[in-house]
Amino acid sequence: MSAPVVETHGLAKTYGPAPVLRDVELRLLPGAGAFVIGGNGCGKSTLLRILAGLEAPSSGRALVFGQDTRKLAARYRRRIGMMAHQSFLYPNLTARENLEFFGDLYSIANPHASIDQWLARVGLADVADTRVRTFSRGMEQRLSAARAMLADPALLLLDEPFASLDHDGAETIAKSIHAAIERGASVIATAHGVPEIEGVEFAVFEISRGLLVPREHKEEVRRGGRIRSLLGR
Amino acid sequence: MSGFAAVLRKDLRLELRSGESTLALLALSMLVLVVLVFALDAARVRSVDAAAGALWVAMVFAGMLGANRALLAERANGAIRGLLLSPLDPATLYAAKLAAALIFMAIAEVGAVILMVLFFNLEFDASIARLAPILALGAIGFSALATLLSAITGRTRGGDMLLPILVVPIFVPALIAGVKASAAALAGMPLSSMGDWLKIMIAFDVLFVTAGYLLFEHVVGED
Amino acid sequence: MNNSAIRNGLGYATLALMLTALFMVFDYVPPEAEQGIAQLIFYFHVPLAWVAFASFGLVAIAGVFYLWLGDQLWDDLGYAAAETGMVFCTLMIVAGSIWAKPIWGTWWTWDSRLTTTFILWLMYGGYLMLRASADDTPQVARFAAVLGIVAVLDVPIVIASVRLWRTIHPAVLVTKQGGHGLEDPRMVATLLVCLAAFTALWAWLLMLRFTQLRTRSKMGALAMRIAFATAAASDGK
Repeated sequence: MSAPVVETHGLAKTYGPAPVLRDVELRLLPGAGAFVIGGNGCGKSTLLRILAGLEAPSSGRALVFGQDTRKLAARYRRRIGMMAHQSFLYPNLTARENLEFFGDLYSIANPHASIDQWLARVGLADVADTRVRTFSRGMEQRLSAARAMLADPALLLLDEPFASLDHDGAETIAKSIHAAIERGASVIATAHGVPEIEGVEFAVFEISRGLLVPREHKEEVRRGGRIRSLLGR
Repeated sequence: MSGFAAVLRKDLRLELRSGESTLALLALSMLVLVVLVFALDAARVRSVDAAAGALWVAMVFAGMLGANRALLAERANGAIRGLLLSPLDPATLYAAKLAAALIFMAIAEVGAVILMVLFFNLEFDASIARLAPILALGAIGFSALATLLSAITGRTRGGDMLLPILVVPIFVPALIAGVKASAAALAGMPLSSMGDWLKIMIAFDVLFVTAGYLLFEHVVGED
Repeated sequence: MNNSAIRNGLGYATLALMLTALFMVFDYVPPEAEQGIAQLIFYFHVPLAWVAFASFGLVAIAGVFYLWLGDQLWDDLGYAAAETGMVFCTLMIVAGSIWAKPIWGTWWTWDSRLTTTFILWLMYGGYLMLRASADDTPQVARFAAVLGIVAVLDVPIVIASVRLWRTIHPAVLVTKQGGHGLEDPRMVATLLVCLAAFTALWAWLLMLRFTQLRTRSKMGALAMRIAFATAAASDGK
């Protein structure tokens, strides 16, 4: 069995005196995908931010690629792609310029070809040279997805990737997620409820009162985990 | 392209596109100088001390605005998180932001010097050229300090008011040295006569660029 | 070692030293020839200056340790040192002003030492304003640590530049080079006792405030553990 891409041990996070996460145990293997669902403020965004190294846990440990997330070296950060509620995009730059900038930061190979490809994949090829300021929320979300996946990350952390998207937009993102998994990436995505997207074969967890609870009673997520009913709660 | 070059290029491109910051800085410099002309009654007397002082006042205010804006671009859409997430080293980010703040301040300084000569009845001669290295040293030290501290004040409630309160006392030595050296330069003295003041400014610059470079990672994270 | 034993010990030592110091200043030491009675402020002014600067140094050292080790204890120490130092710095400026009036005829003068202390006072003020304008989070503690370090690094440059800029302090003071114009050994003895007395006072106040902040931090940590335990207890239901 190969080493897990993501591991947490007794992960806890408090904001002031209120515990948001407590004792989260998670293990994600290469090429596997997990959905983490829960209501507003339940801590799913916090969990993702901790895994991305943006926040430190209050106690416990989070390991990504075997490294403590509080001290992720640049070469590991290069292999993580993240989508959040905020797009991380610069409103006064064009779509292409935004991707060029991030392409530079992540030192991607063949930047021009990759960027053109991604713009086409997320359906933004015809607005490539328009400023992001003029984009709708859905367009910004799609560009944010392209930004996250541009450097072919080994770990994708997606915070509500399907929010604000119509059905076509959601399908586009879902296809990109699948393609990433095909290439061997691991994915953790969050949502309010299990999204009704075809072919999404992820194991599902729920954050309930600060604990991560598997909907399928499985702690380890394996490649090709069982399909959870898409019609349930 | 290196991370430093990528961030700097992006900031310059954004600035070229909107020109907001440059305009604001030039406007602020001019207004400060205008206020000082009337406050010091510079219309009647040709005083290099008043001129040097006014110039530095304008620079300090413009510099604070510039440093604030250099980091402001990263607050839209949470862009700073995108940067922290990336392989970019926080120290490199500091260097790029420092460079951007410096460029803004340099533009403001050129404008301020021109206005100073006009408003304070001076001449465009060799003494102005001697100002250049003094102003450059001042801009470097100020930008280094302000870039580091504006990362702090941008995240606290005090916000805009807090930055001057933190920056000004710490900047005082460079301010004293800069004004004294500038006044001497405008009075026609050679740079060699202001050795002590220049040494102070150089020490200040080295100290705070290094401190900023090493400490920036502690002020730019979340949590 | 028991914390409250240290605090009480310091308290008594301060009392004893202060009483001795007051006696020596007002009864024992001869007034200086040129300046007369007003010069006696010197015996308070110099110790206040020493304590104000030392406290500031402590803020920076605590900041370095906080950034390095992450333990809340260092942040509490830094904050306590900043508040205590601010008190003494304010006192020193007031004392300087009281001294200036009879000697130089004005309530304030920009001589090098007063100017430097005033800058220090502004730095303390900035630090405390930063603390006041933000919540008590580890992030703000880091901000304060960085500010303290940056400000302290500046102090030598401030001293050098202000000295170059202006000085009208009479030579009777203890200079940085260590030479002094105090001829009479009684003057030296009085100065040393005053130094000890004010250092003890500072240390005592610092301990008091530090203990307060520690207690508050520990209570916060305890509240967190209770919250976790409560949540865990109701898990089984």
